[in-house]
Amino acid sequence: MATLRVEHLKKTFPAIERGSKPTIAIEDLTFEVSGHVFVSVVGPSGCGKSTLLNIVSGIESASRGSIDVSEDGRPARLGYVFQEPRLLPWRTVMRNMLYVIEGDAPREQATRYLRLVGLEDAADKFPGQLSGGMQQRVGIARAFAVEPDLLLMDEPCSHLDAITARSLREQLQSIWTDAKKTVLFVTHDIAEAVQLSTRILMLAPGGRLYADVPIDLPYPRKASQTEVAMAQAELLGRFETMQAESDAAKTEEVAS
Amino acid sequence: MSAATTATAARSTSGSVGRLLRSDAVARVASYAFLLVVWQLLAMWKERFPTPAATFGFLWIEVTGGSHGGIVRGEFLEHFAATLPRFALGIAISMVLGILSGVLIGGSKLAEALLKDTLLMLVALPAIIWAFLTQMWLGMGDTAVVITTFLSAFPFVAVNVVQGIQAVPRDLRRMSGVFHVSGLRRLRHMLIPAVMGYLFAGFRFAVIIGWNAVLLAEWFSASEGVGWRSRYWYDANRYKGFVAWVILFVGFIVLLDRLVLVRLQRRAFRWRDAQRSETERTVGEIDVGVTGA
Repeated sequence: MATLRVEHLKKTFPAIERGSKPTIAIEDLTFEVSGHVFVSVVGPSGCGKSTLLNIVSGIESASRGSIDVSEDGRPARLGYVFQEPRLLPWRTVMRNMLYVIEGDAPREQATRYLRLVGLEDAADKFPGQLSGGMQQRVGIARAFAVEPDLLLMDEPCSHLDAITARSLREQLQSIWTDAKKTVLFVTHDIAEAVQLSTRILMLAPGGRLYADVPIDLPYPRKASQTEVAMAQAELLGRFETMQAESDAAKTEEVAS
Repeated sequence: MSAATTATAARSTSGSVGRLLRSDAVARVASYAFLLVVWQLLAMWKERFPTPAATFGFLWIEVTGGSHGGIVRGEFLEHFAATLPRFALGIAISMVLGILSGVLIGGSKLAEALLKDTLLMLVALPAIIWAFLTQMWLGMGDTAVVITTFLSAFPFVAVNVVQGIQAVPRDLRRMSGVFHVSGLRRLRHMLIPAVMGYLFAGFRFAVIIGWNAVLLAEWFSASEGVGWRSRYWYDANRYKGFVAWVILFVGFIVLLDRLVLVRLQRRAFRWRDAQRSETERTVGEIDVGVTGA
């Protein structure tokens, strides 16, 4: 399990047209994540959630500040679950798993995680033969199977229908409990974050950390549980306050 | 049989005849028949056009090994046996170097800037130029023929591979980057399959252009082979012999395309077929459900 340290992270994107201002995706972000935790980053669209994951995974570089992902002093191995499954359509499920796995017994490793997501029997199928939910489960199995020190997930349920997404959330909890990984999960769905996470980082528009909320409830959690529903309602309240404050600040800015 | 059933039977017969007329096989036969009729009319109009009957008669003797008025005995297999290894070697070299240079140009901005225009120039050069040049450089012999085939076919492979590489989905590239997948694995499991459609287009072009190039090169630089044999009859003023060899030449490439290339393509796109048959199965199940209800 890894330690992720984010210190005074800033990310701006250059202006697309001449004369327009550069976009600030993340203003100033500092936090630390470590151990067997499931940390969700929630916030409205455009608050820099996906940008944060892209920087942590090395797809994009930071404009300022630092990010350090390490495991006992060595650079940490990363796993990534994308919004869409991103499988190689011309390779079977097993070959998709083997594509990313290094190590002595890759096939056993792949089978183990396919079993955990309930897709052991689909190993010889092509992604096109599976439903969207099954493909996403392959994507999850693949991310766990590389034995990552830090697992990044970018709204993996957002493209699924409500029923499939619900069962995937339940599966995610059991895999995470079994595999004992550090997870950084990005979502715009507060209810989902509450159901899954040990801790929630709420980002305000412009990529500021608005609140850092621990969720101290036992696993497995179901969306229908009263405690979960109460925690969701409380967090939703804080989210609305944050939005109202941010809207007020914007109005003030326009007025001045 | 009642009037109604007779009418139904007639309708269904005319329906199946209509279907037959519209079918691929019939259309193909009709197009060949049309060509033959035009050819026959041309031959009747001008004596210099050999008739289809005379040409196919000549072709038959050439294939089966009879004599041509005592000039030379038919040597069909020998000439194909001389041409095919030259052709295969030329195509094999084009494929290997075409894929390598395509990957290089498609994958590196610098290589693209340096080499893309050269590649386009090579595409624009007709095979006959290479046939002349290799004859000048290398004289008569197999090497000139193989090199002409390679130089004519290679750019088509490379250009297609470049296009294929540049069309690999960015999402898959990023996924591979995040998981630190090695270059070799990316090549084998992401790039090559993604490029496969383009590669097949390139391979088909290479085979067709390469086959033309072999004929031209043998025309100038060989003393046996399909191209040489065509020239032999041309030089002997036996036009039906010349046309017979052109037919053999074209027939070979059509057969190769139908029997080999189409099958290879089907194998390479198994994953697409698997996907399609799954969809069909699901639709079938739904149909049964509706009938049951």
